[in-house]
Amino acid sequence: MTMTAERQMELTLPMVPDIEIAAARAAGNLAREVGMSAERIDEMAHAIIEACINAREHSGCADQRIYLRFVGTYQSDGNPRIDVWITDHGRGFDLAEARTRRQKLGPAYKRGRGIQLMEAHMDEVEIISGTAGTTIHMVKYENPADEKTS
Amino acid sequence: MTEELRVAVDRRPAGAILHTKGYINNVGGEEIANRAYELMDDGVKVILLNLKDTKIVNSIGISILIEIIEKMMEKGGRIAFCCLTPVIHKTFQIMGLANYATIYDSEDAALNDLNLKA
Repeated sequence: MTMTAERQMELTLPMVPDIEIAAARAAGNLAREVGMSAERIDEMAHAIIEACINAREHSGCADQRIYLRFVGTYQSDGNPRIDVWITDHGRGFDLAEARTRRQKLGPAYKRGRGIQLMEAHMDEVEIISGTAGTTIHMVKYENPADEKTS
Repeated sequence: MTEELRVAVDRRPAGAILHTKGYINNVGGEEIANRAYELMDDGVKVILLNLKDTKIVNSIGISILIEIIEKMMEKGGRIAFCCLTPVIHKTFQIMGLANYATIYDSEDAALNDLNLKA
């Protein structure tokens, strides 16, 4: 598939309470510009909120910043696609270990469902984490069915 | 920046309705919990949370809502929700909240079923 960037936005936000709302609103504005529907934007916003909260609560980064990049393009059928990258320069984490730990805690433990929510609300989620930090790349399609057939 | 949650309490003979407005995060969740626990201490056994004016929740806020539900269940009471956006409804299901509380599409349906009509 050919991906032509129609809209791009880069933000650096401080890790302060509720900053995730600013991130979600900025992505929502870009998504509206490329014509994404309100419900798909709402799902994306909730995923971005969880990613920002994880960065703020768990990254332990010295610079206390979240780096965001949003790109709006179009799918082969003309429907919008939004790519989101959320990066922190923290200590990173082991994704497999985090998933195992969450499973062991069981349903009675109420916290630690951020990644699960991101995966449920977005169409694609890729987490790259190491000692230099973590980047979460997420994709939201207006029409996920088109991606499976193209 | 802050996104304060406001909670309005509507006492009824058979329980109470909490109307929320704003973001349910850790602070918002605690605000709801404070109101709910005051009502429980006052003997209220049925609480309906109307989320019509709440468009965003996060996982920490929902975990606090689950704690409220558990506390009410320990007291033999019931918590229910109404007027959720589709995404909040989906989020509640993922977080397991929907397993412990009834979710109604409208406040009218909830009031009828919970016998909370004024």
